[in-house]
Amino acid sequence: MAIELIDPELCSGCAACVDSCPMDVIRMDPDQAVAVIRYGEDCMMCELCIVDCPEDAITVTPFAVSPAVRSWG
Amino acid sequence: MKETTVQTDVLVIGGGMAGCFAAVKAREAGRDVVLVDKGYVSKSGETPYAGDTAVFNPAWGHDLDAWLTQVRTVGEYLNDARWTEIVFRDSYERFLDLRAFGVEFLEEDGEPVRLDHPLTQIELPDRDKFPPLVSQVVHWLPGWPAKLRKAVVKSGAKIIDRFVVTELLMEDGRVVGAAGFDVEGNATRVLRAGAVVMSAGGGGFKAVGYPTHELTADGHVMAYRAGCEVTGKEFLSPHHTNPEEPGWPPIYPVFASGHSAAFPGAWHDPEMVNAEGDPVPVRGMAWHGWIDAEWEAHEGRAPVLAAGPPDGKVRPLSGPGGHGSMLGHAAGGIVPVDDTCATHVPGLYAAGDSCGTCFVGAAYSGFGFATMHAAVTGARAGLGAAEYARSADRAAPDARGEAEALERALAPLRRRGGFTPRWTTQVLQNALAPYFVLYIKKEERLRAALTTVEFLRDHVVPKLYARDDHELRLAHETANMVANAEMKLRASLLRTESRGTHYREDFPRRDDPDWLAWVRLKDEGGVMTPFTEPIPEESRPDPALPYAQRYPMRLPGEEAR
Ligand SMILES: Cc1cc2nc3c(=O)[nH]c(=O)nc-3n(C[C@H](O)[C@H](O)[C@H](O)COP(=O)(O)OP(=O)(O)OC[C@H]3O[C@@H](n4cnc5c(N)ncnc54)[C@H](O)[C@@H]3O)c2cc1C
Ligand code: SF4
Ligand code: SF4
Repeated sequence: MAIELIDPELCSGCAACVDSCPMDVIRMDPDQAVAVIRYGEDCMMCELCIVDCPEDAITVTPFAVSPAVRSWG
Repeated sequence: MKETTVQTDVLVIGGGMAGCFAAVKAREAGRDVVLVDKGYVSKSGETPYAGDTAVFNPAWGHDLDAWLTQVRTVGEYLNDARWTEIVFRDSYERFLDLRAFGVEFLEEDGEPVRLDHPLTQIELPDRDKFPPLVSQVVHWLPGWPAKLRKAVVKSGAKIIDRFVVTELLMEDGRVVGAAGFDVEGNATRVLRAGAVVMSAGGGGFKAVGYPTHELTADGHVMAYRAGCEVTGKEFLSPHHTNPEEPGWPPIYPVFASGHSAAFPGAWHDPEMVNAEGDPVPVRGMAWHGWIDAEWEAHEGRAPVLAAGPPDGKVRPLSGPGGHGSMLGHAAGGIVPVDDTCATHVPGLYAAGDSCGTCFVGAAYSGFGFATMHAAVTGARAGLGAAEYARSADRAAPDARGEAEALERALAPLRRRGGFTPRWTTQVLQNALAPYFVLYIKKEERLRAALTTVEFLRDHVVPKLYARDDHELRLAHETANMVANAEMKLRASLLRTESRGTHYREDFPRRDDPDWLAWVRLKDEGGVMTPFTEPIPEESRPDPALPYAQRYPMRLPGEEAR
């Protein structure tokens, strides 16, 4: 499912990935001072976050799941 | 919610290659500059993915006529030759600028390594009958986009990242700024400016496997709403992905690491094999296997398999759903009215993938042309906007108009319910993604899709709602994609022929007598109105040349000509 994990053990809270993500998938957790996946369904698998993460904390897989088609939503 | 007003001489919207150049050049001309981006300047849009750029330099043995002929032939005569020449002629200066910004290029003995067009290495039908592919690219080294940003910072331009522009502010028929909100928190801002450069890139439909989901034609749509003409919407930039692992190969690491240099032509899918095990014919010199795989699917010979970079593994291909995101490839955008990239609306300049110079015509003819075009038009738009901001008198701010613009920006957040942007986007994708809508087109199918799009436009878009700050951005992107879809369908309906990356099953041949013309769209009393503009007489192909030699790319049914 695109972005899968930001490892809180590895993340140093530098916020580089928040800036790198063109899709606003990642936000900082204000309490924990680590980056968290907030809008994973909008991840487009560009891996720009991985390129910029100094701690190798992010895992992105090349798979995407499309949501079921619904009558309205 | 917090509200701020920013005042500047030149406002640049979108910080890719084009916007960065515009900002630096407007600063060099002595103007105050604010550069805004809904992502992070230099790290969003298409720019970070680019691995190479074309540079035309006679000192490297390049011949202008040969370069122009390449574009003319592959672009099937719809390139605006004046712009093609401007882009080539300016490109060396922009290359020197990039070096001055600190961008490093692959070099040998102090000279940048020049690489030939990858398709020169691929077997093509009747190659000897057509002009050679002569353009060359240079490769920058990884990390180069950060140098662009540094150059902007050094120039003294002010950067505002993660800020979504929702509309252009108008007064007396002029553009006097823009309005929008922060991605995180949705604080609103009015940006008042003496002139505006629109460099917000191109636009697709968030096709899975193609990582340009933030490019939703915002620039084209905002400018169109302000009164600009838009062109080139019937053409596409077809890039394939694979449905099993749409995120593979990861585009950024493949392209921007210089990896693409190791796979010349790989993105042209040269070794596609259909379900019957037969090789899929390469149709010509338009890049990216235009229509090859789509036609196999149409004929019932899918899956189409191809080996792709960076691992060479064979995977099934699929189209990315009629996206035309790489507008540098697809030739379209806001129509410029002069060589400073001014538009039909005073105060507004367009650059990069937002700017419809038509410099490549109906199909993309050379690697590296898109960034070259973005750099050249960015610089020109920056200088043009700087001069306008210096010389034109400023309108007094229209507080009421500004407040209304901010109200429209936040409207989806104020609605308690309605339609979500994600659902609406999915409906739009379902209407457009199948190959038989925007790839292999036919009147009744285009009309059917248009009916859905018109319903979305009239009934759904006005009721889009956002549950938080993130969804507010999605709501605006969705509305813009719906408008872009209407543009693509209307332009495709009008062009009753096939040419370049526009293929009509009901009009399967080029029609030179009627269609050596551009399709433009403009708003007339609230109605999106397509019309044609003939290309200049001197750009027309020699009618004495047999059809098969005028057009190297073979459309379906022309295999045995
Ligand atoms: C995978 C890939 C590989 C490519 N490889 C090459 C290559 O090797 N050589 C080449 O020449 N070209 C290549 N291209 C094409 C080239 O990268 C683009 O044509 C070029 O970078 C466009 O630059 P731009 O500045 O016009 O737009 P972009 O770089 O797309 O920048 C547009 C910016 O506008 C911002 N924006 C959009 N809407 C808004 C809004 N509403 N408010 C605020 N900001 C907004 C976006 O966030 C973005 O940062 C490639 C493209 C892709 C996708
Ligand atoms: S892969 Fe791209 S879209 Fe996904 S989280 Fe990382 S930067 Fe964002
Ligand atoms: S870039 Fe890496 S270390 Fe920095 S906040 Fe993001 S995940 Fe954490």
